[in-house]
Amino acid sequence: MPKLVQAWLDIKVFSAPGVQNMESKGDTTVKTVSLQSSPGRGYKALAYFKRYWTLYLLLLLPMTYFIIFKYIPMHYILIAFKKYSIVQSVWEMPWAANNGFEYFIKAFNNKDFLNALRNTIMLNFLDLLCGFPAPIILALLLNELPFPRYKRVTQTIAYMPHFLSWIIIAGMAKQLLAPTTGLINNALDALGLGRVEFLNDPTYWVITYIFLGIWQSVGWNTIIYLAAIAGINPELYEAAEMDGAGRFRKMWHITLPGIRPTIVTLLILSLGRILGSEFDRPYALGNHMVNNVSNVISIFVYKYGIQGLQFSLATAVGLFQSVVCVIFLFAANALAKKFGERGVW
Amino acid sequence: MRRTISILLVCFMLVGLLAGCGSEPASTSPSPDTSAPAESTSAGSAQDAELVDRKFTKTRSITVEVYDRGNDGGTPPDDNFYTNFIKEGMLRDHNVEVTFVPVGRWTEVEEINNLLAAGDAPDICVTYSYPTIQTYANMGGVLDMGPYLREYKDLLPNLYGLLTERNLFWNEDPETGTVWAIEALLFNNARINTFVREDWLKKLNLPEPTTLEEFENMLRAFKNNAQLLLGSEAKQMIPFSISYDIGWRADHLLAAFVPDSMTDKEAYINGFDDRHILYPGIKEGVRVLNKWYNEGLIWQDFNLYGAGDTTEDNLMKAGYVGSFIHNWDYPYRNGEEGIQANLQKLVGPDAAYIAVAPFKNDAGVYRKFLANPIDRKIFFPSTNDEPLASLLYLDWISKLENRRFLQIGEEGVTHEVMPDGAIKTLAVTGEKIMNSPNNIDYTITINGLDLGDPELNAKSLALNYAGVDARYIERAFELSKKDGRIIPQFNVGEIKAEEGMGPALASKRDNFLVQAVCCPPDQFDAVWDAGMQDYLNSGGQAIIDERTAKFAQFYEK
Amino acid sequence: MSMIKSRKTRFGDFIVAFLCFLLILVCLLPMLNVLARSLSSSEALIKNKVWLWPVGLNFEAYKMVLSDSKYTWSLVWTAILTVVGTCLSLFMTTICAYPLTYDNLKGRRLFNTIIIFTMYFNAGTIPMYLLLKDLNMLNKPVVLVVPYCLSVFNMIIMRSFFYNIPDSLRESAELDGAGPVRILVSIYLPMSTPVIATLALFYAVGRWNGFSDALMFVKEKKYYPIQLLLYNIINSMTKIEVATQEGFSPPGLSETLKAATVMFATVPILFVYPWLQKYFITGATLGAIKE
Repeated sequence: MPKLVQAWLDIKVFSAPGVQNMESKGDTTVKTVSLQSSPGRGYKALAYFKRYWTLYLLLLLPMTYFIIFKYIPMHYILIAFKKYSIVQSVWEMPWAANNGFEYFIKAFNNKDFLNALRNTIMLNFLDLLCGFPAPIILALLLNELPFPRYKRVTQTIAYMPHFLSWIIIAGMAKQLLAPTTGLINNALDALGLGRVEFLNDPTYWVITYIFLGIWQSVGWNTIIYLAAIAGINPELYEAAEMDGAGRFRKMWHITLPGIRPTIVTLLILSLGRILGSEFDRPYALGNHMVNNVSNVISIFVYKYGIQGLQFSLATAVGLFQSVVCVIFLFAANALAKKFGERGVW
Repeated sequence: MRRTISILLVCFMLVGLLAGCGSEPASTSPSPDTSAPAESTSAGSAQDAELVDRKFTKTRSITVEVYDRGNDGGTPPDDNFYTNFIKEGMLRDHNVEVTFVPVGRWTEVEEINNLLAAGDAPDICVTYSYPTIQTYANMGGVLDMGPYLREYKDLLPNLYGLLTERNLFWNEDPETGTVWAIEALLFNNARINTFVREDWLKKLNLPEPTTLEEFENMLRAFKNNAQLLLGSEAKQMIPFSISYDIGWRADHLLAAFVPDSMTDKEAYINGFDDRHILYPGIKEGVRVLNKWYNEGLIWQDFNLYGAGDTTEDNLMKAGYVGSFIHNWDYPYRNGEEGIQANLQKLVGPDAAYIAVAPFKNDAGVYRKFLANPIDRKIFFPSTNDEPLASLLYLDWISKLENRRFLQIGEEGVTHEVMPDGAIKTLAVTGEKIMNSPNNIDYTITINGLDLGDPELNAKSLALNYAGVDARYIERAFELSKKDGRIIPQFNVGEIKAEEGMGPALASKRDNFLVQAVCCPPDQFDAVWDAGMQDYLNSGGQAIIDERTAKFAQFYEK
Repeated sequence: MSMIKSRKTRFGDFIVAFLCFLLILVCLLPMLNVLARSLSSSEALIKNKVWLWPVGLNFEAYKMVLSDSKYTWSLVWTAILTVVGTCLSLFMTTICAYPLTYDNLKGRRLFNTIIIFTMYFNAGTIPMYLLLKDLNMLNKPVVLVVPYCLSVFNMIIMRSFFYNIPDSLRESAELDGAGPVRILVSIYLPMSTPVIATLALFYAVGRWNGFSDALMFVKEKKYYPIQLLLYNIINSMTKIEVATQEGFSPPGLSETLKAATVMFATVPILFVYPWLQKYFITGATLGAIKE
């Protein structure tokens, strides 16, 4: 490193006399000082800032970014409570009826919305149940593979489906799963098992939907877990091997605990998306036979809010989603902390 | 203690932010003058005084929306051979500078939303959906064209000549007289046709069907003779193809079940849905489809595929489909890539689809419902402060020689003149390419080729389809309009119950139509009734009621 | 990956290898299908005869795309955007995540709240459009890099990784008199190569595949990322409602081209991961030595 930078980085931050030991324990900093100094509140504050001012400097840029690009546009959320007019600014728009809750009431009175709400929760929950463990299992599986080249190849191929847009995947799925001409159904028929309406029947549709979702994302989601596994100290494995631990014991006692923080973080974040609704997947895979399960909140918003030009309604629904998600995030976070894990907050 | 302070700080900060500190975007965007109509009449005359011989003394400038289709090999939509023609012409004839604003064709609504919100919308905007304009108008975002149209009538001979008062005041509110948008002219209102494989009829020695029974028997004949017609691919046989949009794709069949005696009033009250699902008798038509589906006469997988999926087209191109109902010229479009062309490539030179008229209604007439002669809606956002110049623009592109040039281009380059005077369009690449057929994106006041002479128009229409024998087109055109019925327009102003309901109700309609067709025959009534009930309860009934009331108010005195 | 070399291949390993083989099949075959479709003739596609290998092999679609400078430029441009965007994003993510790992940082809860709040509450395109217009960023390349440069999700992941690095390292460095930035640069970053590689991949793929921001905020064709260019092609072919409304179908483009565009847009980014994979190993080694 250039000398100048080196010098700057080497700035000694403690010039206070008599500081002996520094111990950081969680939230508190214990400073053992000699009796020569008498630290007052102002002195402590000064020492604190001298020590940590660079951290605040580092945070300055990201905070500015958030304020400009996230918080300033955020005021538009108020249109959820107002009668929208495209040519007026948010402050000029008149308030909606019922103390501004007109559009929320409208949404909840709409049967389609309640149906969409139910579908969203159901599909997200199933996604979580089946789709959350899958990448973990796959990461563990890949970790067991002793042939490095093979492992690399598998990793690269496993994450390819993530790059296909849902329109493409849906096209392929229809080609494969169509009741009368699909390859899979033809094979099933030849085996005498009869044809299955994978995409036409509501129950099968949900199963297919979840399965395709897992297929598309499992390879991609293992990346984080593999990176986490890479950070586990290999000496632990060697020690376990010497103790005579088998494959599964190593997994249970070393790998899983090693990636536990990652798992918990991602679980909290996933729970915080319980009411989130992606658009592409249900839209591409859905059809008119299964609309009572395939209509999710994002499609409702698209039809009523965007195509129907009811902006306030769309924003109200979005706000509702956000609030519920934050509540779930908060709860999951608190729960994790109870179990001794570090939360997201 | 610390925690409480942090939380308080957060709340304070949020409130502060929400209260709009700092750079408030809204303050910089111009607040539009929503009282424009009142002001304009005085400003109008002021503008008027600056005209000499329909030319402004001082140059004005306007902006015009133009679709950007992102065509491969296309020219920039705001700067090409044709825009230059328009710009030069407008400057020369009216001293108005024209700038084109390209708007993505596929993202049109979102982009116009953005532009309107920012106050940057073009002076002249075009859209296919009137409810959208109504919504914008309710928000105060649209200029009332009524006063200007009436005041400057004498200055706009071409516009009035082409569109006539009918189209110009099509959307006039009967109570307030506001005109939010004018209607372009739909020159060619051929709508839908029934197509059948000509070569299959020949092979099986069948005459062209003229009744429903004959049509059904033909379908069964196709199915039973799949081996003969398709050889090794017999399993792929599809006697009749349809898509999820059943209202459109079975239109002729369904129309035959509507009593001929249905009055215009009935049609109007039940006419919100553009697939006519509320018309009397439609249920029985769909029952026929249900019967066909369960007999295996309809493409069994049709309910899987949504809008824009090319699977069905491919089945037609590959030669597996015996008959279908679609847009009046559907198999003949797109030249090389079209269905007819591919049929001839993949099946044989005599493979072709021919238009037939088999569905008679209860009066023995092959009744078809045709569209009114309206097409796109043209409106002025409220940020338009050059309404006269904009109207003169519309007048200019409605002038026959101008739009003729835009529609057919240069002789020898984009078209050639046949011995009998008919025009044949040539495909061209390079700077004179037309980004849209007959430059429809520029000729916003008309949809359909108009050379000024009805006979020439008919002949040129047939020549417009590359690679397709003219006799197919002529027949398709004739059959599509025969015994057509146009429901007249009843202008009752805004129907409040219709606001924002279009896409949602259309989706429900498609849902229960598809389910009704695909269910077992004994469940048909249950499914249909449940679906219809849901449609009515979700807003359909409210629309019917309001339409009835308004009709009574204006047309039953 | 285990560093132990002298390990007998056990029976279990073969089971694992077999399962991985199945996985490869399931993931690879669809890609092969798309590849095959992009190299097949139109007729074969229309007849739906293409499964895993091309039928009626022809390179027309690729020739058309590659010879058109519009696409080749867009590929280069998107690559530039991706590299610049990823670097900026990584920088921002790091300087945001690192300070938040200090448990005794005053105001930490406040910062956390502010940041996480933005993950859930956003008001859509129109206010962003208005903001960018006021900042005069519309239609400039900078609008494709800055507005979405910092992802809170990724920041949380990086922070989570930083937590895993033992505090003792930091404390001993502090005792040596090192400032926070020096600790970041010489201790945390070298040990975090797996997560940096991961986030680099996430950001790069996000930028490469993204087009909705360019769709709304950029009008100049030369600034279009490749996905947006291809979106227009695919859309112009598939909008049947256009046919119904306008009375004509969009100009026909072949099925082959549709598949070729998918290949075109996907393959370049696929090669980033194998290249980044070597970084997944380095971090672990360093971690071992440090202890």
